Formats: sequence, structure tokens, C-alpha cells
Amino acid sequence: MSAPRPLSLLCELTYRCNLQCPYCYNPVDLGAYREELDADAWRRVVGEAADLGVLQVHLSGGEPTLVPETALAAVAAASSRGLYTNLITQGTFLDDALLDRFVAAGLDHVQISVQAPEAGLADRIAGTTVHERKLEAIDRVMRRDLAFTLNCVLHRANHDRIEATIALAERLGVRRLELANTQFYGWAFENRAWLMPTREQVRHGESVVAAARERLRGTMEIVYVLPDYFEDLPKPCMHGWGNAFMTVTPNGTVLPCPAAAAIRTLAFESVRDRSLRWIWESSPSFTAYRGTGWMPEPCRSCDRREIDFGGCRCQAFAVLGDAGLTDPACAKSPHHDAMRAAAAVAPPAEFVPRRMRALQ
Amino acid sequence: MSAEALRFAPGVRFRRENERTAFLLVPEGIVELSETAAAIAELIDGTRSPDAIAEALAQRYDAEPGALRADVAEFCESLRERGHATEA
Repeated sequence: MSAPRPLSLLCELTYRCNLQCPYCYNPVDLGAYREELDADAWRRVVGEAADLGVLQVHLSGGEPTLVPETALAAVAAASSRGLYTNLITQGTFLDDALLDRFVAAGLDHVQISVQAPEAGLADRIAGTTVHERKLEAIDRVMRRDLAFTLNCVLHRANHDRIEATIALAERLGVRRLELANTQFYGWAFENRAWLMPTREQVRHGESVVAAARERLRGTMEIVYVLPDYFEDLPKPCMHGWGNAFMTVTPNGTVLPCPAAAAIRTLAFESVRDRSLRWIWESSPSFTAYRGTGWMPEPCRSCDRREIDFGGCRCQAFAVLGDAGLTDPACAKSPHHDAMRAAAAVAPPAEFVPRRMRALQ
Repeated sequence: MSAEALRFAPGVRFRRENERTAFLLVPEGIVELSETAAAIAELIDGTRSPDAIAEALAQRYDAEPGALRADVAEFCESLRERGHATEA
């Protein structure tokens, strides 16, 4: 089949980060990505993405403001092509001077996440003292002509604080709040049992969010992302493999999904060796699960096959060891029980903090 | 509400690719617009109210503004509810 038009590019500028959040979806072998693309390489990547039809460029990592000149170069390159730019950051390096440079480069949107609504829990999860400084950074962003989203990744340890998190967003005057349950990839998959919310927490969260949405209609948009492990339908991951999204990692590897590097049965190409166009249109990794031709049963004959695209390939690989199977999050998967069983595992006392050294 | 001028919120941008394809670029998302929605969105400029937009479209398509007013108001209200547009 011919390749569809990509709409969105995620640039992971570095995997270095001053935080150690256990729910990070970055790969556990962070040290393998130390050879980072430079500003010139990112300008080229962004330009090639614009040629392919990409409209939105997200800068993340790791912490993208640890390489500020690279991040600014990528924003300027995207902006010069009329693309929408989004900076996903923990925020504390965004002083007035750096923020002004981002605005001048054409930045459209900033997302800053908090780990919890109060410093004690937030700093314990982040592994360092950052919460109060994040709130200051949020204030600096909101005083400028930038769109802003406050994000909080939810898990067992902060899920019960969801009302306080919404209250914090209100106090800050935030227009858009994203309450996203942990996606279990990378470090989060390692910490799955510690992070897994209970079914009661998730149901409580849903009702709190529903009430808050009603109350804050027209003032704040609240996005609530459910965890896969309690669902009967899989998420339409990336709107289909190689369909609309691509990710370029710090060392130039191009992935159909930010978590795809964990799929050891596929070989992923690098922008150091190949054009982004060839990788998107023709590479074996991007064509492997594009469209519906690859699908096994029960996806092949399912009337939702072009709605949820068989779910998430990375999740099928992480849970079942085969990226070509139906996402076990789907109730029609013969392996759906594996998700229920994983959700019921008793949590360990401590989590594994995200660090650059490889896991044993 | 339909008489007040409307503008896009910060972080919301209209982008037209060609006669049939247009997008609304929003925080962390891309919305492909129908031809009708695109025709309305294109006229949101911080000076026109929804009523004025209906007026302009009626002229362009040689239609009755009354017939367009409800559609324009509904689309503008959906933008406002999502925080994608506000009063100028």
C-alpha cells in the first residue's frame, strides 16, 4: 500500500533528565542513546518532516531544555515552515530569558507536568526537589502569549489526589489539564506493579473528572486518559502504525511509536543513514504493521479494525512477546486475561528510579 | 453571544492546505476540518462576530444569512467550549 501522510513528529532531543520518575516511557537502556543528533541534524529532520506533510512538532526527551540551543534550533526550523511547535518539559530550566528566546523562535505551546498536587509526594516521585520550581515555571509560561497544558501522570500513589490536582490547576488558572494514567512502556513497564492503580481508583477518577468537566465547562478542558489494563477495547495507538505519527530518538533512530524501540524483532533505521522519506514510506519497520494486511484474528475480521488498528504493537510485544498479535487490552484477544492478571499483582514496596545506567 | 467578535485562543492556528483540505492546529492535536467548518474558521480573525461570519459566507455563496447563522453559531460555540476560541 502507498504510505499515508504523517501529521505529527516527536523529537526526543536527549534522554538525559534531572528527574527520575518511575513512570517514564523512555527505554530502560538510556545509555545506548548518548550519541545525540546536533542542532544541524535536527534542522534537517524537521525540514524533511515538513516536506512529508507533518504539521505538528513536539519536542521532548528526556528533558529537552537540557539542550537549549538544539531545542531552539528545532523550534525555529519548524516555525519557519509554518509548523506548530510544542515543548514538553519539566520546566525548571525555563527562566525568563530562555522562555523569551523560545517565544521569539515561534513556540506555540508548552506542556509542563507535575508529579502530584503537593511538593512532598511530587518530589518523592521525581526523585529530586522540583515541585515548587515547576509552579514558578508554570507562572512564567502563563504570563506569556503561549498556550499551556498542565499534565499529571496518574498511578497508584497519586490517583487518590486527583481532586487536589484539579484544584491546583484551577488555582493556577490553567485552561487545559491532562490527567493521563501511566502508559506501561519502558521504565513504567519495569515499575508496572508499583504504579498500577486499583479498579476503584480508576472508577473514582472517572466520576471526579466527569463532575469537574461539568463544573468547569468553558473554563478548563480536562483530558482523562484511562489505563489500558482496565479496558475492554484497545486504544487506537498512534492512530495506526506508520499512519500519522513518527518519533525520532536522541541518536536519530526513527520509530512509529515512542515506545517501539523495545520491539526487538524489528530493526529501526536512523536519519544518520537514510532520508526520513524513505524510512517513513518504505522501511521494513514502518511497513511491518501499516494498514490492516498484517492483522491476525480476531482483528482481521473485526469491524473495529480501522477504528482501533489492532491496538498497540508495543503492548502486544511487552505483554505477549509478539508485536504481531492483537493488543491484549482488547477483550476479544485470547490473551486478555494476561492484562487482568498483571493488574492484580501486589505492588512492591519501592519503585526503580529512572536512571541512565542500564538495569541489571 | 453571537454578536461579539471571536478570535482563536493562543496555541490555536488555522491552516489551509488547498481548496478541500484545512486543519485546526490545537494544543497537542490536529483537527481536520470539513469544508463548511473550514470556511467558517477561515473568517475568525478577532474582528468578526459569528453573525458577521454568517453574513460574509452568505455573500460569498449567495445564500440567506439566516440559514447560515445557526450553523456558524453552533461551530463557534463548539470552539469556545473547547477553549479553542474566545471573545476578542
